[in-house]
Amino acid sequence: MIKLLRSTSLRLALGYAILFVVSSVLLLGLVWWNTTGYLDRETDAVITADIRAIGDRLRDFGLPGAIQTVNERVIADVDRKAIYLLTDPFLKPLAGNVDAWPGKIGRTPGWYEIDLVYQNRLHATRFLHVVLPGNFQLLVGRDVQDRVAMRALFLRSLAWAVLVAVAFAILSGLLLRRTVLRRIETINRTANAIVQGDLGRRMPLRDANDEFDHLARTINAMLDQIQQLIEGVRNVSNAIAHDLRTPLTELRARLEGLLRTRAHDEKMLDELGEAIGDIDRLIGIFNALLRLAEVDAGLRRAGFTKVDVAALAQDIAELYGPTAEAKDIALSIDLAPDLQVDGDPFLLAQAVGNLVDNAVKYTPSGGRIALSANATDQGIVIAVADSGPGIAESERDQVTKRFYRGDASRGSSGAGLGLSLVEAVVRLHGGRLALSDNQPGLRASMVLPKTAAASG
Amino acid sequence: MKVLLVEDNPKVSQFVRKGLTEAGHVVDHVDNGRDGLFLASSESYDAVILDRMLPGGVDGLGIIEALRKTGNRTPILILSALSDVDERIRGLKAGGDDYLTKPFAFGELEARLHALVRRGQSGDAPQTSLRVGDLHMDLLSRRVTRSGQVIQLKPREYKLLEYLMRHANQVVTRTMLLENVWDYHFDPQTNVIDVHISNLRQKIDAGFDRPLLHTVRGAGYRLSADD
Repeated sequence: MIKLLRSTSLRLALGYAILFVVSSVLLLGLVWWNTTGYLDRETDAVITADIRAIGDRLRDFGLPGAIQTVNERVIADVDRKAIYLLTDPFLKPLAGNVDAWPGKIGRTPGWYEIDLVYQNRLHATRFLHVVLPGNFQLLVGRDVQDRVAMRALFLRSLAWAVLVAVAFAILSGLLLRRTVLRRIETINRTANAIVQGDLGRRMPLRDANDEFDHLARTINAMLDQIQQLIEGVRNVSNAIAHDLRTPLTELRARLEGLLRTRAHDEKMLDELGEAIGDIDRLIGIFNALLRLAEVDAGLRRAGFTKVDVAALAQDIAELYGPTAEAKDIALSIDLAPDLQVDGDPFLLAQAVGNLVDNAVKYTPSGGRIALSANATDQGIVIAVADSGPGIAESERDQVTKRFYRGDASRGSSGAGLGLSLVEAVVRLHGGRLALSDNQPGLRASMVLPKTAAASG
Repeated sequence: MKVLLVEDNPKVSQFVRKGLTEAGHVVDHVDNGRDGLFLASSESYDAVILDRMLPGGVDGLGIIEALRKTGNRTPILILSALSDVDERIRGLKAGGDDYLTKPFAFGELEARLHALVRRGQSGDAPQTSLRVGDLHMDLLSRRVTRSGQVIQLKPREYKLLEYLMRHANQVVTRTMLLENVWDYHFDPQTNVIDVHISNLRQKIDAGFDRPLLHTVRGAGYRLSADD
């Protein structure tokens, strides 16, 4: 319901409905004023004129004159629409066409509108009650039954108008949704796909050359530019990594060749082995950089399958177990069963591996590392918590940047790409990487969306 | 051994040819897919090293599929600049036996080539036991003994030792171990494999005069009875 209220089309439809109702009421009000209202004013004028005439007669000719005038008027009223009643101060009738003072009219002079039975019918009647000199009571009325019927007609028309307005508003809202808003939604969907990494997508055009096409064209031009920039940057970093990898491999081959010459200088052979190890680390960094570029580009979405998180974490714990043990670090695991995510098993394994690798690297001997996986409201959380030095809060945003290395990491090996890759992998899966204080130590959590609840 | 190299990049082909020739192998080299397919199907080789993308109308995957369709089962090692895991899977599905991403170390290529040829020679007959010197592994009961002494191994250590024994007397690289024993295709940064190896070495070599598990400088490991 709340989502429905948030919908622009519904809000627009409601706005239209209100506008229609208000304008209908205004219009009908105006018609009312010019027709029924006019008749009302006419009636009131006639009644006032009657009263004035009878009052004048009373003043000029006394009571008999007034009685005569009343009687004349009763006779002159061929339509039988008028009512006259002249009484003495005690409401005893002296002249007129009603037998008794109507009970619904009190002693207070003024305008009344009441239903009155005369000529055996119920009539809506408008009266003016005045007190004449000598405390004579005069009541003059007109039958306004027609006008009441007209008013009812007006009210019915108004009700219909409102109904039609609301129906029309709903209809136009739906129509709006089908046409205009559908195009906005198309744009929105395309933009979302682009955010998810499908940078090749473009806003569809409809050749209508309307505002939406203009908007779509502008967005497309913007996207072209962004894509060019991104590709430029990516090409440069990939080219560097790629181009340096090849000479490094050749250098490595040369050293390997030297190793095979079987020179009998053990020390030199050891040095050569070390040098090859250094080169392998360099090549590893470039490989990581290229892998990161690949993940960042969102190209690996095609490899997504259902991944058993617990089994994956178990295997990683097993891979790193001996390394942790050798450093006298207790690696414990706490994995809930039946955890599944849609993802790339190789990348996820590498991401969890990187987290455990970092933890083993930075936790001092005798420390603890806990690898856990469980389902929460936010999604499936794979967390690696260690008892190492942790990361200062001010540094946490920085550590996922490429080649960033925290103060605590100086002097240890590593290229500073580990957390960047974890972050990129998690982002590719529609999740997020959270770093928090483990008191003491670091707790790194990969929060991944559950199966089928893909990030859209 | 006799190897066919199908590679259009002159630098890579020269590098591979030189290395293999120096190591005492015979290398035939062609630089396009059509000639590659012709030689591979007409001559008899111990192994084929095949670039994934080739000129000449037939690409690497095309050659593999054509060869496998005619019943040719020569071990094939695919070389590719495409490091994507999906690409690797596609190459292996087409009938390739192993996949190596460019650029690669020559030692890695040589080790993998030996592993492939060995696998090709061992034939289809299922083995029930493996033996390297006085180290014996019963594949049915999963019992490992050295000089009659039972060695207790964890499941992964058993798998690691089995792989090393199946490739006895050959150099096995860390990447090969990571791929074949753990099924991971990434660089675990720290040398976690070394620690697993040293644990295994503790169990099979400690207390014996002749070590079986050797470290090969700059390349990897070798399980061998003779030094």
